[in-house]
Amino acid sequence: MIASHLLALIVFSTLVSVVFAMLLRERSQDRVRFALMTFGAFVLSAVVVGWLMYPFPN
Amino acid sequence: MERDRAIVDERRVGGAIPACLLALLVPGAGHFYLGRVTKGLAFLGAIGALFVLGVLMDAGLQMHLGFDDPLAFLRSLAQMALGVPYFVARALGFEAGKVTSVTYEYGNTFTEVGGLLNILVVLDAYDVAVGRKR
Repeated sequence: MIASHLLALIVFSTLVSVVFAMLLRERSQDRVRFALMTFGAFVLSAVVVGWLMYPFPN
Repeated sequence: MERDRAIVDERRVGGAIPACLLALLVPGAGHFYLGRVTKGLAFLGAIGALFVLGVLMDAGLQMHLGFDDPLAFLRSLAQMALGVPYFVARALGFEAGKVTSVTYEYGNTFTEVGGLLNILVVLDAYDVAVGRKR
């Protein structure tokens, strides 16, 4: 279905960010901002951790 | 103001039980019951998508009851927290998943996280029902 790591990461981050934003913020504007920040944090941290692991393939 | 909102109206605790049960059965149903349609739709859409995509990515939905493999038991509990969709998918034959599939672990992660998020949604439904949250 989704065989790409990056696509799976983006879909997962989007869906989880939406739920977190709806749970943790009450105003629409705050929810959008929080969802975008959470999404960015998910994707960025995964990319950073991925690069940190790059020298250690095994 | 914040202090007032933190106080639980004990008369409303009884009314929270059906909301929590519905939320546990179907993601978002507790919020629909409480009249929070937007929240309910968001939870149903997002958690439902996590579950459906997880199953389509060959997730295993097998039950591991018992403590011989504690991590498998906890993962199984997380998936079961999705409620009715989990049991329907099992009944429809999506129980075993496909261990050899490239996306097997993705699928497991999607379905498990969906279940864990649904537990948070149940707690949110309780908070809304007792007046602690809007």
